[in-house]
Amino acid sequence: MNSIVITLIQAIIILGLAPFCMGLVRMFKARMQGRHGASPFLPYITLATFMRKQMVISTSTSWVFRVVPFVVLSTTIFLALVLPLASQGGALSSLSDFVVVAGILSLGAIFLVLGGLDGASAFGGMGSSREMTIASLIEPTVIVAFATVAIVSQTHLIDGMIFHEMSEILERPYLLLVLISLLLIALAENARYPVDNPATHLELTMVHEAMVLEYSGPYLAMLEYASALKLTIFSLLAVNLFFPVSLLVPGAGLISLVTVIGMTVIKLVVMMFLLALLESSIAKMRFFRMQEYLSVSFFVSLAGLVLVLINLV
Amino acid sequence: MDFPTLIQYGILISLGGTVFAGLIGLLVHTREAHRLAYGLLAFANIIGAITCFFFLKSGEVGVLIGSIPFGYSLTLGLDTLSSIFYLIITLVTTLCSVYAIVYVEHYKDTYHLPSLAIATSLFIFGMQMVLLSTNIAGFMIFWEIMSIASFFLVMADRKQASIKAALLYLVMTHLGAAALLAGFFVLSQGTLLANFSALQVIGQSLPVHAVTMAFILFLFGFGSKAGLVPLHVWLPEAHPQAPSHISALMSGVMLKVALYGFLRIIGMFPIMPSWFGMTVLVLGLASAIFGVLYAVIETDIKRTLAYSSIENIGLIFTMVGVGLFASSHGQYLLGQLCFIAAIFHAFLHAIFKSGLFLAAGVIVSETHTRNLEQMGGLTKRMPIFTGAFCLLALSAAALPPFGAFFGEWMFLQSLVRVLPTITADPIFLGVVVAALMGVAFVGGLAIFAMVKLFSIACLGEPRSESASHAKEPGGFLLAPILFLTILVIAIGAFAPDLFSLLKADTVISFDGLSKTLQIPSAASLSSLKLFSALVIVSFIVWIFRHLFSDSKNERSYHTWDCGQPITAGMEYTATAFSAPIRFFFRLLLRTKKAVTAIPIIPTNPWIARRTMELDTSPIFMEYLYLPIERGLMHVSKLVRKIQNGSIQLYLALIFITLIATLIIAL
Repeated sequence: MNSIVITLIQAIIILGLAPFCMGLVRMFKARMQGRHGASPFLPYITLATFMRKQMVISTSTSWVFRVVPFVVLSTTIFLALVLPLASQGGALSSLSDFVVVAGILSLGAIFLVLGGLDGASAFGGMGSSREMTIASLIEPTVIVAFATVAIVSQTHLIDGMIFHEMSEILERPYLLLVLISLLLIALAENARYPVDNPATHLELTMVHEAMVLEYSGPYLAMLEYASALKLTIFSLLAVNLFFPVSLLVPGAGLISLVTVIGMTVIKLVVMMFLLALLESSIAKMRFFRMQEYLSVSFFVSLAGLVLVLINLV
Repeated sequence: MDFPTLIQYGILISLGGTVFAGLIGLLVHTREAHRLAYGLLAFANIIGAITCFFFLKSGEVGVLIGSIPFGYSLTLGLDTLSSIFYLIITLVTTLCSVYAIVYVEHYKDTYHLPSLAIATSLFIFGMQMVLLSTNIAGFMIFWEIMSIASFFLVMADRKQASIKAALLYLVMTHLGAAALLAGFFVLSQGTLLANFSALQVIGQSLPVHAVTMAFILFLFGFGSKAGLVPLHVWLPEAHPQAPSHISALMSGVMLKVALYGFLRIIGMFPIMPSWFGMTVLVLGLASAIFGVLYAVIETDIKRTLAYSSIENIGLIFTMVGVGLFASSHGQYLLGQLCFIAAIFHAFLHAIFKSGLFLAAGVIVSETHTRNLEQMGGLTKRMPIFTGAFCLLALSAAALPPFGAFFGEWMFLQSLVRVLPTITADPIFLGVVVAALMGVAFVGGLAIFAMVKLFSIACLGEPRSESASHAKEPGGFLLAPILFLTILVIAIGAFAPDLFSLLKADTVISFDGLSKTLQIPSAASLSSLKLFSALVIVSFIVWIFRHLFSDSKNERSYHTWDCGQPITAGMEYTATAFSAPIRFFFRLLLRTKKAVTAIPIIPTNPWIARRTMELDTSPIFMEYLYLPIERGLMHVSKLVRKIQNGSIQLYLALIFITLIATLIIAL
């Protein structure tokens, strides 16, 4: 298989598994909280239903409102194509420069914010203001954390930042600091606990849900799908950076394709289980304490960077 | 005609046209005189821009433009550095002039149009000549012409607030000019007619303390013009008061002239101790951080842009600071890369910031206010204009795939790649890590500021009567803004070409040092690939949406309102939008918020009429300038005691002064 084929295979795997991933975390969470919960395949049906529904477009909105779902979904799919999620060395891997990835992430966040404000409701503004605050204060952490990994792995492409031997990480225990800060970022980027509560529609707590409140029908499907995709991307990226097990590389055969699909599902199940465990055991933080959370993630990654540099002497 | 002669004629046409445009304003008193003047300005400057483009493309090192016998001979020349900045000036001037043709007619009663045209031409002529001057006297003369002309432009509407801002600007800019003159005196050892090339030779024999003194004076002089913290106080006052095309020129171009001066002079310093670079870096980072924080909390559209200019100038000086520091530590390649990133960013800042100021001019003339809190709903009323405004704001936030991203990309990449090679030098390491953190931090908040600017001004429902009557602007106003938008996107797709136009490739192919530093050459990130990948993915998403759902199946309804009709007063305002940032950075910003509740029924404290007062006045005014002012007033009061009206005492004082002067001088 050449690099174009493995990029396409990765895209199909990720795009196909994203709703399952979202359903999985909801099911795990329900089980942990003593409920039976819906099937993990429910989001597929939900998305299909949204696609058939009639859209209600607010009279206050303009062209921005209609552009938002496209930009948000496109930037997320772009990340699914360039990052090493199920494959490494794909056709677009030369675009996985970490500064570019951080910028594309912000681009998606910005358009969500614009969509939230275009409806002219106070809810949208509230969510937008919070989301923009979090997104803009996460940016330095993303840069510093990936810069640290870039120095260790001597490449600026996230595609090359994957360690192939566990011993490479065990020799550098300070990389765990980077892992912690990346996980903190991932929770904030995906609007999960303790930054946001993905399950409520309460003005005091919500961030992400407040911005998409005015969307319905196919546009809502696109936005929901984008957030499911983002969750999948971040989980797989976190696993792959530090526990890279079976990735598709150019020249791989059919048998490895089957292993890759199997392993990707297993990785997602484990990560979703851990996420559900986390969300069932901690409380959401007050928004005005977010500065503590964001500064902790920033300083943890900075500590990682400093330790890496000291260690290089 | 050979190539240097062509370049010479091109530059002379742009200079002559600019002067002639001023003369039209002065001599022709018909109603259409200003149209002719701005048209001529646009024509002359586009010739200048094309000339500079071909000059840069040709790889020529320097061309002699001419010399003015002016008591002494004032030689004009063009080299690579000055041609880059000449290109910036002429390009932005062309677009601003086209914009001004119709724009100033909206303000016939506010401005005196002929004198506005004269001052504008003089201002541009001053900037052009500063770049072309090859000796100190010429540089200072035209620097003053630029400053004085822009002083008159700031107070063009003759309102009280503008005059106050203009006077503050005049004071700051003349403190700066005095520092420059003193710096030149020190560096040239008194020969103010010296050529810049001779200056380099003279500087070699200077003692270290004199060079240090000169550096501090130049940093003060250029820093006050460029708007570095804490000398920036005039900038957010003066830039917004000027007419919008002048704001665009001041923010987009005049600040770059200060940068040019700094780069030109710093290149002639005989020695470069590492703390020079460190000082520039610290001032740059401080400007970037304070600039971006105030850009986030500001509610005036043009002041937001002015603060964003301080932020961008801060970023550029951060890059220059790291460059100087690296050069003084022997890391010449990193130094070069930082200078390239700085010049690239300066170029892009000129483009997107003048676009944003021109757009702000359109918004202000449509909504009749500069207050963001009274705007809104523009996207529905002027879709083409707001589309361009949105793209310009995104590129001002340095996001991919827009042009401005690549300057920051280059800088961050260079820093990250140099880190593993300098671990033996803890101070160098500290400087690079500080720059990395600072730029990443500012980058995040810059996105916030730009999103606030666009979304509060344009989205949702109009918050005032006049905002609801906004209409799409005419062709002359729209065309320059659209052109700048297209330019920003095109540079985003073809960033490596601009890098090579700015002579970056000649530096990057320098391979003596490339073994110690893996170079982030423009080729290692294909901007065209990035751009096309994003476009293709968006196109595929669009196709799929139309394949799998019925795009006609929709209806209009009002925004969900919880059963109570929604009004524009319920929308988030700029103040509310930036509240989290104000809260998180309250120790730095020191905003004062006071909520007063007056109970409607005295016995019931819960039902009350509440008013909020928010004081976001900048801390530098309050904690630095006002104490200085109080101190000066106090000293003056003490001095006044000897002013008692007795003529004998005055004569004695004159005599003592004379003796003291003679003792010091001899």
